[in-house]
Parts: sequence; structure tokens; C-alpha cells
Amino acid sequence: MGTFLVRRILGSIPIIFGVALVVFILFNIVGGDPALMMVGKHATAQQIADIRREYGLDQPLYVQFFHYLKDIITFDFGRSYATRQKISDMILNGIGPSLSLTLPAFFITTVISVILGLLVSYFRGGIIDRVAVILCVIGMSIPSLGYILFGQYYLAYELRMFPISGYDYSFPGRFEYLVLPMILWLLLSVGYDVRFYRTAMLEETTQDYVRTARAKGLSEPRVFFKHVLKNSMVPIVTNVVLEIPLLILGSFLFETFFGIPGLGSITIDALHNSDLPVIKSMAFVMSLLLIFGNIITDIVYALVDPRVKLK
Amino acid sequence: MGALKVMFNQKNFLVIVSAFSLAVTVMFTSCSKKNTLDPTNTFYTSSIAKIKGLDPAFADDLYSGIETTRIYEGLLEYEYLKRPYALRPALAEAMPVISKDGKTYTFKIKKGVLFQDDKAFKTTNGKGRELVAEDFAYSFKRLADPKLNSPMWWLLDGKIEGLNEWRESAQKAGKADYSAKVSGLKVADAATLEIKLKARSYQFIYSLAMPAMTAVAREVVEEYGPEFLNHPVGTGAFKLAEYNPSSQIVYVRNPTHRPDFYPTEGEASDQSAGLTGDAGKQVPFVDKIVMTVHVESQPLWLNFMQGKLDAAGIPKDNFAQAITTTKELTPELKNRGIQLIKEASLDVTHTSFNMTDSVVGKNKFLRQAISMAINFPEEIELFYNGRAISAQGPIPPGLAGYDEKTKNAYKEGNIEKAKALLSKAGFPDGKGLPTLDYLALSDSTARQMTEYLQKSLAAIGIQLKVQTFSWPEFQQSLKNKKGQMWSYAWSADYPDAENFLQLFYSKNAAPGPNDSNYSNPEFDRLYEKSLTQNDSAERTALYKKMSEMVMEDTPWVFGVHRVTYCLSHPWLKNYKPHEFNHGMSKYYKIDTSLRK
Repeated sequence: MGTFLVRRILGSIPIIFGVALVVFILFNIVGGDPALMMVGKHATAQQIADIRREYGLDQPLYVQFFHYLKDIITFDFGRSYATRQKISDMILNGIGPSLSLTLPAFFITTVISVILGLLVSYFRGGIIDRVAVILCVIGMSIPSLGYILFGQYYLAYELRMFPISGYDYSFPGRFEYLVLPMILWLLLSVGYDVRFYRTAMLEETTQDYVRTARAKGLSEPRVFFKHVLKNSMVPIVTNVVLEIPLLILGSFLFETFFGIPGLGSITIDALHNSDLPVIKSMAFVMSLLLIFGNIITDIVYALVDPRVKLK
Repeated sequence: MGALKVMFNQKNFLVIVSAFSLAVTVMFTSCSKKNTLDPTNTFYTSSIAKIKGLDPAFADDLYSGIETTRIYEGLLEYEYLKRPYALRPALAEAMPVISKDGKTYTFKIKKGVLFQDDKAFKTTNGKGRELVAEDFAYSFKRLADPKLNSPMWWLLDGKIEGLNEWRESAQKAGKADYSAKVSGLKVADAATLEIKLKARSYQFIYSLAMPAMTAVAREVVEEYGPEFLNHPVGTGAFKLAEYNPSSQIVYVRNPTHRPDFYPTEGEASDQSAGLTGDAGKQVPFVDKIVMTVHVESQPLWLNFMQGKLDAAGIPKDNFAQAITTTKELTPELKNRGIQLIKEASLDVTHTSFNMTDSVVGKNKFLRQAISMAINFPEEIELFYNGRAISAQGPIPPGLAGYDEKTKNAYKEGNIEKAKALLSKAGFPDGKGLPTLDYLALSDSTARQMTEYLQKSLAAIGIQLKVQTFSWPEFQQSLKNKKGQMWSYAWSADYPDAENFLQLFYSKNAAPGPNDSNYSNPEFDRLYEKSLTQNDSAERTALYKKMSEMVMEDTPWVFGVHRVTYCLSHPWLKNYKPHEFNHGMSKYYKIDTSLRK
């Protein structure tokens, strides 16, 4: 396990370097000039030159890239060009609200989806299965914005079941504001997840060991929960564990509509403002999260499937 | 496993699912404690953009300007009720004494004005110290500090004697020396500030009422360093209580605020609008302000309709819910006591031609033909819900130089005349004219407006090749003089037509604010002449002349002047929209007995 971890961590270095290089090249080709964004509407050539000099944007690209690498290696994210806020503070302040929404929503969605997946695969071909598949397809076909607009208007405004938007930093006060976005998250994700898990489980139901279990006289719930579920864990783990680190990054639409001060819009705002320090920091954080997610996935594979050995 | 066995029966499963759904519905229906209105003396407002921090030196957008001036104050401020817009003293004891040559402004600072308490005031054990003239000299120097790179430096660039030199020495030294004297910022004593300009400027006085020119305390700036933008300490009516610039900012009444009173003068209509009842009373009236960021229009609108916001604009998609075809409030909103206030904005939208381009820049008839082909009444209905006035020239209504009788000869939306002009330009029915490069933003409204423009021009045989950009790329193209046409808008920095006419001054060409790169020596001569003149009939005549010149030359297709429709709940009193909403929330009042 130790060798595996060291090998994977060392292997991630070229990936991070590659991501940094791609982000830097893309930013310099299509990103817009940050100096122009900072100078305001009454720009003069002199002011633009002053800003470029001050932020090192007048230096050769290889020098700028070297500084870029130095900043991410030393975890010195600096300050946003657009808001002048400390980027590490922006990230740390946003993680809590983002995770408060995404983690419970994701957990509830996963539990419900796995149970529903198991049940509809049990009822395969029956009315429940068919209705579930139709509902899943309908659910997947409705855009996320549709759920949000509908939920906010009817459930929060018309029926007054939830606050329309807002956030409370107190705990658990925040959950009053998060219940509606969580329900909408569930509705939005459950269709896709149930279909995915159903397919994974159906593949298992045709295996020989299931027939053997049934022949032994095991009850159906036992067959499904003890054997089918356990053997379906590899695709489930792949789907779940890879997503968990990305939950930290929040959800742009949910956070924007429901006024949740998370990380959802940080990268999009940075792209709108040509805010290179934020773009590079978030690209770095995302790379780390993905690498971390992959390593965890591999470890969990080994835990759930004794055939997998980490070397 | 027993429970699972029950579930694995199809009928039981359906019953369980139905019961679960019902229970969840009942549970959520009963949890609506936050859906009651706040009975306290709090003003609830919103911003449609995230706030970039509360440092006046970076308050270069409308929203940051509104928020910083709840806390900070300048020498001057705008009259709240009077129109046309006028200035009055804020932290200055009176309006400045201006020397005969118009270059020296002498201000007496109000005595006894205190900064809000903060730990940065070490000599007074955290109690806010008294404001002095030196605070303004320091605050103005901050805008010139090259390390700070304030986007508001343009307000002072080349204007104050010795300030550019101070900036240059700071650049050379790599650090600004705030103790070094600037000849144009003379502090005669603690209460006297003398500002000496390099040349007479009749617009300079307006900059003294802008958010960037408000007073900050040196101790506080030095205490917090780069975090100063998150620790505002001013002399204003409110102080910071809670702060999250991307979602919500809460302010509370500043207990040490100076004697500050509701205005006694205004427009004739203010009395009938109930805006004069508090004349002469001490402000602020509200104890607390809660400002929530609503980037999306639906939550903003629904929160207003539920009474969670005291005032709001009307989002485009909700216009029909609020306003009838006769542009009045719908009966539903009227019955709730909601008020509608219409206020013409000091702005102009336009489609610019790149005057350095060899096709559109060199052919006046082509530009006039394009202007003539667009049906503005239709565009105003389609994209502004009728909330705009067709702009004939660059100067909006409400400013000297605007004349409602003036008609732009090339804004008739007449296809035949447009075709005739196109023939005159040498391109009959568009033949021989290459496809024109049009730069557009990628958001949905910009895309719809671009499609409308494409359709309008196709009717006379002109084809547009549209390139869509993100905002930074769009800016970069304009500043580098790329593209042939694009659409843009300009909002007034101060209430003087000069602020609009400078958009055609050749020395302001890209990367400056003259984005069309219009260059006309005669226009430049008249513009420079107008700068030397006080508000007078002669200067107004010059403004009109310049306006007519650009109407004829058509470096822009003049778009519209927008009209703001503001809604307010009946419990919000003394509410009058203001183009320069700097510190105006101190005048608002909440009748808590009506907020139920």
C-alpha cells in the first residue's frame, strides 16, 4: 500500500505540471488581458503599462510560467486580480457552505439511488421497473435550471414551504435554507443514478452465483442485499468516490439561485474577469482533488473487491 | 431483513413510497418560520453584482460605490431630492471657496466629525478619532499610489499640481512616501484643505462627491494592509456588522455619526410623493441595513414580492407581472400598496463603428445607412419592455445640452432611406460591401440583440459576421482597436454632458473611453473650449454643437437612454431613486407597523 501511494503521488506531479501548462497556454491565447480588466473604463496606455509592470505581466511568458509554478508549489495562491481578496481565504470561506449543500445532498441521493436501483432491478420488467425507468428518463431530460426555477417559484414562493434564498452561517440554522436545494439536487440526480445502478445490478443478477444463491433457498432480499449489492460495488464506488472530492467545488447554479456563498461560481467569475491567480489556483485545486479522488477510488476497490491488489 | 421482505413486495413498495412522499410534504409544509417579515427597523436591499470589497480606491463600479458610501463620506455629496442633480457639502463645512483663476479650491472641514471606533486608533484606545484635512490629502494620494493601481486614478490624473510627480517618484522608489508634500494638496491647518489644480476644470468638483474620493484614515489602512478592503472604517451613517461580499453585507447605525439632516429642498412633486415630511430631521432613520446579493433575477423578484426586499427593479422576464400595457402598475401590486417610480437614467447605449477601420471608418454614408435601418421603437419594446427613450445623440435627458426637440436625421428606421444612403455610400443593395465584423458578448440578451441587428441590416443588404466573446476578450478587442462594429453603453460618472462628449475626444481613443476612436479636430477644439467654461448658455450651445457633429458623422448608432422602473413596498418611506446613489440609504425610513 505504501509503495502504491508513493508511486501514485509521484505520478501525479507530471499531471499537475501538464494541467498548469495547459491552463497557462489557454489563458494567454484566449483569456483576455487582466490589465485591461483592472484598469477600468477610463484606461490610458500609461496606466495599462503600469499595471502590467506591477503584476509582472510585461515579463516574458516563460518567466511568468516559472512564477506560476513557483506559486502553486509553495501554495502561495496570492490575491485575486478582480476582488483583491486573498484566494486561500476565498477558498476556505467557500468550502463550508458548498459542502453543507453538496455533501448531504450527495449522500442522500446516493443512498436513495442505490436502494431504488436495487429495488427496480429486483422488479425488472414489472410495472415498478417500467414506471421507474420512465420517471428516470423524464428526470434526466429536464434541465437543472428547470428544477431550480420551478422549485423556487412553487415550493418556496407560492407554497411558502422553504425560504426563497439565503444562507445562515450558524449550525444547524443553515439547513433551513439548504433543504430545498437538496431536494432539487436529489430530483436532478436520482434519475441518472438509479438508471446507472440498475444497469450495474442487472448485470450481476444474471451471474451464476445469484442462481446458486437462489438454488440454496436464500430469500430474495438476502440475495440482493448480501450478494448482488456487494458485487455491484465496483461501479458504484467508481461513481461515488470520484465525485466526492469535486463536491468541495460546489454547484454554480444552486449556489447562484439560492444565495449560498460557496465555491460554485469562483472559477466562472474568475474566467469572466480574466482573473489568472484565481484560475490557476482553482485549476491546481481541481487537479489535486481529482488525483486524490482517483487514489481513494483505487484503495476502496481493494477494500470491496478482494481480487484487486494494490502494488 | 424482515422490513426488507415487506418492501420486496410490489404492493407494499408502492404504499411505502406514497406514505414517505406524504410525510415529507407535510414536514416541509410545516417548516416555514423564516417566511414571516422582520418587524425591526431594518432596510432590506439587494445588489445584482457581487461586491468587490469596501475600499473606496477600488469603488469603480456602481454596486461597490453604493456599498462603500454607506460607511465612507467625502467632502461633498449629492442633494437627495433636487433635480437636476446638485452638490452640497458633506464633510466640508460649506461649498469650497474657488479662486478667481478657478484653480484653487479651499475647503473648511466640519469639526467634531469622528471616524468609527476601531482598534487601529491606538492613541485613542480604539475610539474613533476626529477627521482632519490631512485625511483627505492622504486619501487622494492613495488614488495616485502606483502600488495600489486604483482604477479611479483617472479622477486625479494630470489634474492636481504635483500629484503626478509624487506618483512618478513613488514609481521610481518602488514605494510611495505619504509624508512627502504635494503642492496641490495643501493642509493649512487641521480644518483647512487647499486643492490646487493644474488648469481650471469645471468638472473637477463632481469628483469630490464620488465614492473614491471619500476620507479614509491612514492608521486603519496601515493596520490592515491588503485586508483594508475588508475592514472599512469611515465617518458615515452606518458601520459594518457582518461581511460576505459575495452574498450578504449587514450594516448597523453608526452611533458616533455627525449631525446630519434630511434635506429641506427638493422638486415640486416631492411633497405630494410624501418625501418632505422628515425635512430637517436627523438621519439615519433605520437601525440596520441588510444587503443581499442576487445575481439571478428570479430570487430577487420573488424575495421582493414576498416582502423580503423593501425595494427592487423589475427584471425583464417579470415585467408583465408588474406593469400593464399602459406602463402602470398591475392592479394586484397596486392593491398591495406597492409604489412604482420611474426615473430616467443618465446613460446611453450605442453601436460603435471602429473609425480607424478602412471600410466603416471612412464611409459616413455607410454608417448613416446602418443607423437608418434600425427600427428603434420596435427594439425598445422587444429588449427594454418599453423602458427606454430613443437616443438622438450622446447626451441623455436631464443634462444641459440635451434638447428633446432635436431629431437625429439618421434614426428613422426607414428601409428605403437606408437603401438610398447605402447606394450613396457606393454599395447599392449592399453589393460590393464586404461582410462586416461585429463583436458581441456571449450572454443571451446580447445574442438576441445581435440577431435583431443582423436581421435589420440584412433588410438593406448588409451582412454581419458575428464574433462572440467573453467580457475580457471583448474588452481586449476594443482596446486594441479590433473589429468593425460592437455595442456598448455608458453611464454618467457625474451629471455633466462633458462626461458623454469626452467619449469622442481624440485624445481619449482606445485604450481610453473613446472606443470608436473618433477623431475630428473641430470637435476636439470645441471640446477643449467647453472645458474652460462654467455652466452657462454658451457652454450648453457648445455641447449642442458637438452633439450635432457626432450625430452627423455617426461614429455611433445612437441607441437608447434607459428608464429605470423602481418598485417599493408601502412601508419603505422617503424612497426616491437617485442616479448617484452614494450614501442615500441614510434617508430611507421603515414604517414597521406596515411591514406585516
